[in-house]
Amino acid sequence: MIEIQGLTKRYGAKTAVDNITATIRPGLVTGFLGPNGAGKSTTMRTIIGLDRPDSGSVTVNGKQYAQHHNPMHEVGALLDAKAIHTGRTAYNHLLAMGATHGIGKARVNEVIAMTGLESVAKKRVGGFSLGMGQRLGIAAALLGDPQTLILDEPVNGLDPEGVMWVRKLTRQLASEGRTIFLSSHLMSEMAQTADHLIVLGRGRIIADAPVSEILAIATGTAVRVRTPQAAELANRLSGSDATITSIEGDVLNIAGLASAQIGEAAAQSGIVLHELTPLSASLEDAYLELTQDDVEYHSEVSR
Amino acid sequence: MTTTTLEAPQPSGAQNARVQGATRLNFARVVRSEWIKLRTLRSTLWLFAIFVLLTVAFGLLMAVTFDTSGGPALDTETQKSFTVMVATLGVSFTQLVAAVLGVLIVSGEYTTGMIRSTFAAVPKRLPAFFAKAFVLALATFVVSLGSIVATALITAPILAGQGVEGQLLDGEVMRALVGGAGYLTLVALLAFGFGAILRNSAGGIATVLGLILVVPTVLGILAAITQAVWVQNLSAFLPSNAGALMYAIGDGSFMGGPPVPTGSDIITLDATQGFLVLVAWVVVLFIAAAALIKRRDA
Repeated sequence: MIEIQGLTKRYGAKTAVDNITATIRPGLVTGFLGPNGAGKSTTMRTIIGLDRPDSGSVTVNGKQYAQHHNPMHEVGALLDAKAIHTGRTAYNHLLAMGATHGIGKARVNEVIAMTGLESVAKKRVGGFSLGMGQRLGIAAALLGDPQTLILDEPVNGLDPEGVMWVRKLTRQLASEGRTIFLSSHLMSEMAQTADHLIVLGRGRIIADAPVSEILAIATGTAVRVRTPQAAELANRLSGSDATITSIEGDVLNIAGLASAQIGEAAAQSGIVLHELTPLSASLEDAYLELTQDDVEYHSEVSR
Repeated sequence: MTTTTLEAPQPSGAQNARVQGATRLNFARVVRSEWIKLRTLRSTLWLFAIFVLLTVAFGLLMAVTFDTSGGPALDTETQKSFTVMVATLGVSFTQLVAAVLGVLIVSGEYTTGMIRSTFAAVPKRLPAFFAKAFVLALATFVVSLGSIVATALITAPILAGQGVEGQLLDGEVMRALVGGAGYLTLVALLAFGFGAILRNSAGGIATVLGLILVVPTVLGILAAITQAVWVQNLSAFLPSNAGALMYAIGDGSFMGGPPVPTGSDIITLDATQGFLVLVAWVVVLFIAAAALIKRRDA
């Protein structure tokens, strides 16, 4: 359980995080979504005390992270895959990290096996690829068998197998009742992994809700209908709140009505339906819709 | 390269209990962690190797080139001075190695980002800072003392042929040899303080070497030109000048330096005072570094 209360963090004149309040609950995978520079990493860094908040507070399981007697068992964090001395081997890095808490070789070898680093464990970190660095960062986060796992862009640089693995890992740890908080700019990844989403834009929380709700709020739902009597159906529904757009001759996109209502209306009028498909918006669409006014760095595709 | 991952992670219940029951953060464990860090970096090991090599090499060089044939027999005081000088001649050079080591051991964590892993594991931060300083001090002292004593032992037979009999068990000689190791240790800690404050390898090394090499020379020239007493007094409190007293015997004039000026206003320190001055430097830097480490974002 992570509780963020009125957190504000400024770097000079720039406000990175602006008075945010949120609770990240155990047993769920909570996704942290936002464009670059939205304040995701800053928020995560304040949780484990790397950055000091200008105001507000952050607690993990009721205490500030630094006040815990066994910090690595409370929170495991991957905040920056490069937060490792390049001259040391992966094994020695983990050994040194674990030593602070009396965690020995057996556990170090376990996390090396869990993250698939056996073949490179005795190599110096300077020569690691982004993906291997990421795996090592996750290994370090898992060392203390933490109750809360914080992963900043964990799938960054991972191959598809690694992405699958992170998804499985986080789902399993959440099912064990742990608190999982991960950020990603891959919205589709979030849709498959997260139960709950916190969307951040320019240091403020734009949305804090279950994934399904975010999808619904952002775009509403639409239904695709294929029928040889498209014009008749459009006429039949024209009195309701429905917004109807015709895609091809016999395909209609109908927003504002549930598929059941459309089906019943068609049956009453004796209209034949060949297809009736509820369309769920992709998380990308939802996300873009939520954050379009809050992106700090707009890219102009065409001018 | 392919990396294969186990089908599913398995933090089983039994394993939980084992990991949870045994683990807890404490200072002794942080010291152990810092010790692992120290011995697992090649750069550190190389610096220590250079350290030993320089000490022994300069001692040997001096011992074999020393020639008393034809001169009068040396008195005991001179023999003692010579024994100490041969064993600690390398200090002028190894102090630079100690300074680089002291800076790198902390600045290396900042430049690589490692410091964030360190502070995530030890969120109160100061235990990590002091554990690192402790490990650095212990390693530097042991290596310094070992190489100084080894140099004294290796050169003893050579010096004996030149009429300098082994004076190693003499109290004053032992004090000076230990003082040499103590000086190098304090230089390493001084550099460590600068490294922690500046968080930058190049800046830290430049600052420490400037303080050890450049500032004394500048003040020396100033003193010669102006003959001002306060400049000479200020100079006496510089780390390298105060520290040099720790491994000198007598007034140090045997070393070929300028005769110590004597005047009512000129401050002259003894070995203990020199030691205390150097300790004061380290303490002041550590207080500043600790305050900054506690306050700054990592």
